Amino acid sequence: MLSERDFQISPIVQESVMHNSKALQNLQSLSASLFGISAGILGLESYSGFLFYIFFSLLTSFLIYLVRVAPLSSPKEYKDNKGTGNGLGSGVGGVKKYFRSGFEFWAGGIMNGFAGFVLTWTLFYGLVRA
Amino acid sequence: MTWISNTITVFGGLLLAHACYSAQEHAALQSFRAAATSTLTSSTPVASSLPVDIAIETIVATLVIVLGLVLGTRPLRPIQWRVWAGKIEREGEEGFLGNNGEVEKDYMGNPFTYLESRPSFVDIRRQRKEFAEWIKNGGGDAGKK
Repeated sequence: MLSERDFQISPIVQESVMHNSKALQNLQSLSASLFGISAGILGLESYSGFLFYIFFSLLTSFLIYLVRVAPLSSPKEYKDNKGTGNGLGSGVGGVKKYFRSGFEFWAGGIMNGFAGFVLTWTLFYGLVRA
Repeated sequence: MTWISNTITVFGGLLLAHACYSAQEHAALQSFRAAATSTLTSSTPVASSLPVDIAIETIVATLVIVLGLVLGTRPLRPIQWRVWAGKIEREGEEGFLGNNGEVEKDYMGNPFTYLESRPSFVDIRRQRKEFAEWIKNGGGDAGKK
């Protein structure tokens, strides 16, 4: 866990944290409704539906990682960062640079969009199955 | 550059709508057939066997839409203070452009602007160069005859 002293050595910009989490939340609630539509069309039942949602949420996080985090995590101009201890650390593959913890990035948004998923899932299941 | 992500999202949306309509027609056709052939035992709807191509089209449409949405997200900002301040100093405002090409509204700005605009800390050479460029581009009173 990060101590108070770590936060004094490398403080955190609150505005950036809010901006990053807002961007992720928008994307995850929108995509959760989308996954509900797909699950309804495919006619998935109980367990397979939830597994579908979790799998595709992780896939979405992985895509965000590929597009937004990975290209910038091997910077050429930060030559001194690789040698010294990074204070807050660079996490696995540079996620710590944008989010406070790896878990918050990968799995934090699943509960956020869960209600929208179930809503559109039941709606489209009823619509498509006549 | 948002038109790429929007185009991809709309294309995925079309695919998904097509898959949805196909699945609905398939289910309607199946129930119609079941009602037409079995007059006595038409009680519960059977678990529909969705054709494979509709299922594949649904999954592909989902992936395309997700790709379009992810490409349309705004770039993330670094949360460590030294990385963020270094980025402001190097790139100025251009490091914080939103999707529409303008500076985002919740960008706070250089935290040391107040300190840097003190008279003894003014970068006079840069201001001289900017003024010369402005005059060269025909700005202000120099353009009037």
